[in-house]
Amino acid sequence: MRRLPVYLLLDTSGSMTGEPIEAVKNGVQVMISSLRQNPQAIETAYISIISFDSVAKQIVTLTDLASFQMVDIKASGTTCLGEALKLVSTCIDTEVVKTTPEQKGDWKPLVFIMTDGIPTDDWQSGLEEYKKRKVAFTVACAAGTGADANLLKQITENVVTLDTADSQSIAKFFTWVTASIGVTSTKVEDGGKEVTGIGELPPPPSELNIVV
Amino acid sequence: MFVSKKINGMSDAKQLVTTLLKNNNIQVPADRKQLLNQFVQDEANLRAISTIIKNQDQLMTKWKLENRIADIRQQSVRIPNGTVGKPYEARFDFDLLSWKDITEYEFEGLQNIGLHYDSKIKLITGTPAESGDHKIIFKFKISGQPAELPFNEKIIPLIINPDPRSLWKTLESDKADPWWKQDDVTIFSPLGPLQLLVSSKRGRSHANVGSFREDDFAFSELENGWSIVVVADGAGSAKASRKGSSIACNAVVEYFKEPAAIDNMKEFDQLIPAYKNNTGEETAAKINRLVYNNLGKAVFQVHKNLEEFAATNNLALKDLNSTLIFTLIKKYQEGFAFLSFGVGDCPIAIINKDKTEVILMNWLDVGEFGGGTRFITMAEIFKSDKFASRFGFKLMDDFSYLMLMSDGIYDPKFVVENSLADIKKWHQLLADLGGKNEDGVAVVLDKDNPDIVEQFSRWMDFWSPGNHDDRTLAIVF
Repeated sequence: MRRLPVYLLLDTSGSMTGEPIEAVKNGVQVMISSLRQNPQAIETAYISIISFDSVAKQIVTLTDLASFQMVDIKASGTTCLGEALKLVSTCIDTEVVKTTPEQKGDWKPLVFIMTDGIPTDDWQSGLEEYKKRKVAFTVACAAGTGADANLLKQITENVVTLDTADSQSIAKFFTWVTASIGVTSTKVEDGGKEVTGIGELPPPPSELNIVV
Repeated sequence: MFVSKKINGMSDAKQLVTTLLKNNNIQVPADRKQLLNQFVQDEANLRAISTIIKNQDQLMTKWKLENRIADIRQQSVRIPNGTVGKPYEARFDFDLLSWKDITEYEFEGLQNIGLHYDSKIKLITGTPAESGDHKIIFKFKISGQPAELPFNEKIIPLIINPDPRSLWKTLESDKADPWWKQDDVTIFSPLGPLQLLVSSKRGRSHANVGSFREDDFAFSELENGWSIVVVADGAGSAKASRKGSSIACNAVVEYFKEPAAIDNMKEFDQLIPAYKNNTGEETAAKINRLVYNNLGKAVFQVHKNLEEFAATNNLALKDLNSTLIFTLIKKYQEGFAFLSFGVGDCPIAIINKDKTEVILMNWLDVGEFGGGTRFITMAEIFKSDKFASRFGFKLMDDFSYLMLMSDGIYDPKFVVENSLADIKKWHQLLADLGGKNEDGVAVVLDKDNPDIVEQFSRWMDFWSPGNHDDRTLAIVF
């Protein structure tokens, strides 16, 4: 059974306190509940949550949807995106199964990043590490005016922005992530091939601005 | 009647009054110590003091109780998720939770989802019948709590996943479509001196969205004593592949039914005995050439038919992408002769009489991550220097089974390509067909089995997570 690993990198820095962090928690819960109704996703999608503020932590290891239980997250501290990129790199090394003649490995992972601010650590070295790993695609979401979409563009081609980091916008982002995971689960199961890019995903809602 | 106690040379009563005065910023100087002593021995005062101490103790006790109740209510208690229809077990040990002071308890909400708490084995157990994000109410009383007070309540979330099988819908495919084909077909038929049991079923992923079966098959007895079985797997990414696989299968059969082909195949009748008696280089080479010429022409014809169809129906050739495998069989005095061709990722396998050996007639076109299969619609296969190797020939005294299958069967049953060469894996498949499967469905592969079609059709509905593709399996025995 080839798994579709999904890594969510979530900014839990101080600026996310209040409405934004609640919206993120809610977004993840709703995402998990929805995906549980998707027969392909429930078989193939495995989700991991990495939070980053003053430190980066893998708060939920790669878990299948049926077993997944969301942990509580609190917002405080700075924004160590670089560390988060390094952490997801090592997680990919240890958690994603490679294909060998004896066994079929996992599909290439999907990585979604959400941040509302500027990284406060050495994100470039984090990016260098991250680039060494193979992923199906990376999507970065710049939530609100505090984030820097151009900086995120250096991490990935696929950058979307939210005008504000409020409940509605964040909820829309997670709805889109849900749909993307759902569609990808179906595509890899049916087509037997990796999904190669954001073009294969459902179109994002109007609240998400695609950065060209 | 309150009796004053002496602690550290000062009674409780005196202690209390002294503290009270201090809290009101009143000092007791040396010359008022006598007054204080009298004060705390006065009966009325002692009664007041005793009441105060009793009230304080009550307040303390009450606070500790409510604090403890709050601790228990806020304590993070997580139990694993369950799934509808799957037996559930969750350890719920009060000792491990440090809940030794719970005197009475009740679970509310377990019964109506099919679970219960067994206090002897300290497990929440049962088989959940209802999916959802359930909130189980754990009602409890702790020691020291007045009995008449109602239960305290603690919410324990319990997530029950729906039965994955129930999430798959079965939508009708559009019968008005010009290239519609029946969703599921299962046939049992004589095939020359042998039997053919074949089934082709629409995959759950297609049924879920009401699309078509893209696998196909065909078979026929031929006038010259040969029989033929064909299987084709239309590509999921090709919009008319259901028609592509159908054209491919039927075109192969039609080709071999043509008088010219019937005639050409007669050359085998001389070569086979010669091959059996002296397997000299020449006879083998002649046979290979004959296979290549006869089957090669058939394959080329199929490709042409597909090209023509695409042209006359405003389609790109790749819209008809399909894999293709077929085998011709004839019984000779010298044994059974098998001729085969394959393009794509569908295997053709022969299991010998005593089931100690499996002979794979073709190699599979597979890419790095399993997505690199090739199709009969690809002109490049004809030009490749590997083209000749797609054809196979085998002469066997006898055999037990010839099987042709699409990846909808080999993915769940064999998983990796390497397993196809392992006879043990084929034993497993035969055992599986014999009833060793999750649903306990047995298919008796005997021509006198009146229920063989029904059994095989049911077996073909097997559940395999992640494997919801169309599936086709042809067994010749």
